[in-house]
Amino acid sequence: MIRLENVRKRFGETEVLRGINLEVQRGQRLVVIGPSGSGKSTLLRVINHLEPIDDGLIYLHGKPVFGRTADGHLMKVHDAEVRAVREKIGMVSQRFNLFPHMSVIDNIMVGPVKVKKVPPAEAFERAKSLLARVGLEQKTFAFPSELSGGQQQRVAIARSLAMDPDAILFDEVTSALDPELVGEVLSVMRDLASQGTTMVIVTHEMKFGRDVADRVIMMDHGQIVEEAAPDQLFTNPQSDRTRAFLRDILDR
Amino acid sequence: MGFYLKDVPGIFEGLLWGLRTTVILTILIMAIAMVLALPLALARMSRQRVFRYPATLIVQVLRGTPMLLQLFYLYYVLPFAGIKLNPWLAGIAGMSVNGAAYLSEIYRGGIQAIDHGQTEAALSIGMSRYQVMRIVVLPQAFKITIPPISNQFIGLFKDTSLLSILTIQELMYTGQIMAATSFRFITIFSIIMLMYLAVCWPTATMIDVLERRLKSLPPENSPRRLKSRFM
Repeated sequence: MIRLENVRKRFGETEVLRGINLEVQRGQRLVVIGPSGSGKSTLLRVINHLEPIDDGLIYLHGKPVFGRTADGHLMKVHDAEVRAVREKIGMVSQRFNLFPHMSVIDNIMVGPVKVKKVPPAEAFERAKSLLARVGLEQKTFAFPSELSGGQQQRVAIARSLAMDPDAILFDEVTSALDPELVGEVLSVMRDLASQGTTMVIVTHEMKFGRDVADRVIMMDHGQIVEEAAPDQLFTNPQSDRTRAFLRDILDR
Repeated sequence: MGFYLKDVPGIFEGLLWGLRTTVILTILIMAIAMVLALPLALARMSRQRVFRYPATLIVQVLRGTPMLLQLFYLYYVLPFAGIKLNPWLAGIAGMSVNGAAYLSEIYRGGIQAIDHGQTEAALSIGMSRYQVMRIVVLPQAFKITIPPISNQFIGLFKDTSLLSILTIQELMYTGQIMAATSFRFITIFSIIMLMYLAVCWPTATMIDVLERRLKSLPPENSPRRLKSRFM
């Protein structure tokens, strides 16, 4: 469903993605691990074009959407095409970024109503059921600043789900949370995973990653250094880098 | 020459008309300036040079030269280029455009103060750049720009006295005319002072209240707590 072919991205002198190839199939959960600065976040951000890529090609549903085509030209992407991709690929980020001037229900409804032009009454019902799904029905008319970090992140996940995306990208969604709030967010994500949602998850929660992943990739210095099934990668990593990284993480 | 209590009612009444003109001019100029300032601010932040460069030039020229000079220019210099404006038009146009330059910088500061994560979150659910501005960024920027905008408003209210040099009969010029014929300087200018103050002080207080109300979350039983804004 999402395919990256030799994707490269540089910020000035630093090349943050150095020829990434990967594929995510419908219903798959791809977990991405690696040290900070390895390009994990950028990997997610290029998929929905928050960062344009410099080389390579990104496919969505088998169609090239961003990048450099075979004849060597960078594709000219129009705003409408970018928006179409973003509608289909949800993104949840580390810092929730709920809209502080809107109630919880409006945060969830704004996408469907304003972007997809869903009738408000219908969007409302759907938003209510999504709130129930993330366990926050009683917070329907609360404002983001009245919620804990974990609750805000669950709303952010519901906001993303409300667009009925084909896949959701999770960018270290528990990294900004107090430790005791991590569990509630992970359990929502486990629930999504169990229902066959296509997910690409950048995370430092190794146990969680191992539990939900179909496949894990380990990134370092803008490259994929290892790609394997979770049991294989976490228990018997082939690359020295992966072994060292896992040791560092598990020793904490 | 001295101060006579019995003069006060007559002078007060005479000045009231000038005050009325000052208030109307202020509101009119502020309204025009607030509208003009938005495209100016957006152009200043545009990624395209064709928008950014001219906008920057306009803002810098208007902020880098005295407003009095700008008014003189409109009224006394433009006629040589065949553009003859009447005092009212020159005054309103000059002060609106000048105000827009300052306001646009206030808007720009407000917009840029909004965390970029807000924009990214909005883009991620498929909003257009225009929607991101209108639905997510501007409403938040508006709240934080209320204090500087109200400063601008109060400054403008007092600066309309500059229009007296274009013979517009606002409060200041009305007072000058009355003083020139009656020589009641103390009474006239004291009342004028109190009149400016009587408008500025309560306005500032009202804006403070408005700001506090907008910044705090809606109270328990407000409509925002009971239904979606989209319904």
